[in-house]
This record gives sequence, structure tokens and C-alpha cells, in this order.
Amino acid sequence: MAILEIQGLCKTYPAFRLDNVSFSVEPGSIMGLIGRNGAGKTTTMKSILHIVHPDAGTIRYFGLDFAGHEAEIKQRIGFAGGAADYYKRKKISQLLDVTRRFYDNWDETACEQYLKAFSLDPEKTPAQLSEGMKVKLSLTLALSHRAELLILDEPTSGLDPVSREELLESFRFLQDRGVAILFSTHITSDLEKCADHITYISKGRCLASEPMAQFLERHRQAGRGSTLDEIMVHYEKESLYDTLSV
Amino acid sequence: MTRYLYKELHLAASPISWWFLAGALMTLLPGYPILVGSFFICFGVFQSFQHARESNDVLYSVLLPVKKRDYVTAKYLYTVFMQMIGWVLCAVLTVLRMTALSGLMPYVGNALMNPSPLYLGFVLLIFTAFNVLFLGGFFRTAYKFGLPFLRFGIAALLLISIAEVLHHLPGLGFLNTTTGERLGLQFAILGGCALIYALCTLLSLRASQKRFEMLDL
Repeated sequence: MAILEIQGLCKTYPAFRLDNVSFSVEPGSIMGLIGRNGAGKTTTMKSILHIVHPDAGTIRYFGLDFAGHEAEIKQRIGFAGGAADYYKRKKISQLLDVTRRFYDNWDETACEQYLKAFSLDPEKTPAQLSEGMKVKLSLTLALSHRAELLILDEPTSGLDPVSREELLESFRFLQDRGVAILFSTHITSDLEKCADHITYISKGRCLASEPMAQFLERHRQAGRGSTLDEIMVHYEKESLYDTLSV
Repeated sequence: MTRYLYKELHLAASPISWWFLAGALMTLLPGYPILVGSFFICFGVFQSFQHARESNDVLYSVLLPVKKRDYVTAKYLYTVFMQMIGWVLCAVLTVLRMTALSGLMPYVGNALMNPSPLYLGFVLLIFTAFNVLFLGGFFRTAYKFGLPFLRFGIAALLLISIAEVLHHLPGLGFLNTTTGERLGLQFAILGGCALIYALCTLLSLRASQKRFEMLDL
């Protein structure tokens, strides 16, 4: 059974439409959600978490419909949307104190380990952290309640190369323990290091959702490139002259 | 429920909201439209909404393992909690002015509204206006609160004016009395106001929850 199943997800804004996006995430897999800026990755992420209200489509986690089991499902998933951008003047210890009260499976030991691993001082406030450290705080909050599925929106943006490598390593560590990860990014080199599945969104539509090896092989054989970068450029590149002359 | 309130008090609320509870002390002011104090109590709660919006409280909250509409419940819970503290303070000071302080010179012959059961009823009506006009208006967008607060401000001004004028009308002088057998009628009006407060707040909560569910945050 898929840990996350999305069917026919649609969301229309005045200048953008997410059109019939479908994909699923299997237990213990790392799914990379790729696409260029403005392709619809964040809208997809927000829709599957009900932060925005989808116009159509079904979203099921662990075989349960999200609409009817929202609180129960959120106990079992973790989300980090880039840098922690809330309560900038509150101490991290205060944030953790409140957050832990909401989770049945809050793991204090794991939380302390992540704080230590990410060099986060609980007496500091988010306002005192760099953007990269805020991402780490966001991840600590998402990882400390033994989530079975992590949904991460651009988690590596703003991180230095060493922190990025450490984060990707922690993904593989979590994967070994059966945690599934869905993360969006436009930094394709991150995906090549750890993702085993790819969902590619372009202009609001899902162009592909399949195992990474199959995706790469299919495009290599079709002569569209042999890396994610090359494939994305093949699909997305528009001539500046063509765009401006329209 | 307690964890929502804990979150509101420890993260989302502005400490300044507590200071605005001192608006209840206006109950003791002679020759002053004492209902203005209840406006200030609401203004204190408004400060917390401002603080919460600046802190991006909504994004943090909707990602917690609760239903999206529980965010609205938490905000109403916090508001009612603060209002009830304010109302109890007003009630204690009202009892004080109606008993131990009733004979003091500044209070004798007070031309404006006296602290009384009717006064406490009007305090609840002002709180009702806040919960319906401000909270209900705010949750149409979850970020615009200028116009909803302006609407509440106008409603509060009207309620204060009505309360101050009513007892000057012929035959309605008993509405400003603090002694005698007609006090029972004031208690009945207070009960009616409490009912209106509870009912309107509940209806406003339900409507806000529905609107918030459909919002794109």
C-alpha cells in the first residue's frame, strides 16, 4: 500500500493552474519532486497538506482519506517548508516545549540528538539563526516525532555544501529505518545522490512519475540527456528571443 | 483544548494583551463612560492577533497534528479566555462599587452609567460585537484585520452610546440604579446578554471554521 497517494489534484489560481497531478510514494522510498521555479511544486506540497484548498483530486495517506483523518495523519507525517519562518523572537526551547505537546510519539532523545547534530542552541531564537540554521530547526521539528513520511519543500536551499551533504546522508539514514521522504527541489544534484523515485512537474502538469533509474534510462535512450539537469533543460528551455517576440 | 490554549498563551499571544485587561479598572472611574474599559480589553486581544500574524503563527499552527479548523477554535478559545478574565475583573469591581464604595462622594450622583448588572450585560454585548465583527471578519482572509476592527470599533461606540443614553429616557431610570427591587430586571437582562454572547460567539466560530477551511494560506 502506498504511504501517500495523490490522484487528479487540481488547483486554479488567476495566473496558474495545477492540472490533474497524480503520483504515489511507497514506504521507505525517497521521492524527488522536481520542476523549475513556478512549475507547481510548492502548490502541490501545500495542497497535499491542506494549506491551500485543492479544487479537485483525492489525497490519501496510509490508505486513509486526508479530509476525514487530518489530525491522525498529521501525527504520522512531518513537514518542513525551508527555513523556519515563525515566532522569530521566541526561544527554540519554547517552540519545542509547545510543539511536543501536540505529538503522541514525540521523541525527546531524537530531538536532543538532532539539536546536537545540527548545532542548534535551544536558548537562541530563530531571529538569531542564519537561513541555513533555520532550515535545520525546521527539520528538527519535523523529525522529532518519529514521522513515517517526511514532506520537505526545498529543504536544501540555503544550506552550505557540508550541511547539504549531511542532510542527504540523514535522508538515507531515515530511509534505512523505513521512513519515506517526499522532497521538492530544483537542485537536481541533490536528487541524484539520494532519490530513488522522481516526479517531474512542468507548467502545472505531471510529466513523469517513476523510478529514478527508469526515468534516466528512458530519457537517455530518447536522446533528451543523461542527467536530471540535461533532461530538465531539454523540456524547459525556451528561446529568450521567442518569448520576447510573442 | 488545554494544549491549544497553552500554544496561544506561550507563542501566539502578545504580553501586552495582559496589560490591556487593566481596562477593567475603568469600572472604578466616576464621571466616565466606564464601558470604554471593555473596548480596551478587546483592543488587547487585537494586539495578540497582530503579534500572531507577524509571527507567521498560522503556518506553524496548521502543520501541527490538528484539524485545520482547530486553528480557529484556538483563537476563539484564547479570545473568550481573555474576555472572561476581563469580565470577572469588571464584576468584582462592580460588586465593590455597589457595596463598600457606594457611599463615596465621587460616586454619589454619578450622571453616567453606574457599575451594575446591566453594565456587566453591556460588557458582554461589546465582547459579542468583537467576536462577531472582528473575529468573524478576520477569518474571511486570516490576515486582513483593519476593516474588521474598524467595524467592531463603530459597533462598540454605538453600544456605549446606547448604554449611556438609555437610563436618561423617561421611565428607564431604573436601568442605572444599583439598589432596590428593580435590580432583578437588570439581572434578567444580564442573563439575556450572557445568552446572546454565548450563542453569537458559537455561531461566529462555526462560520469562521467553515471559511477558514476553504482559505488558501
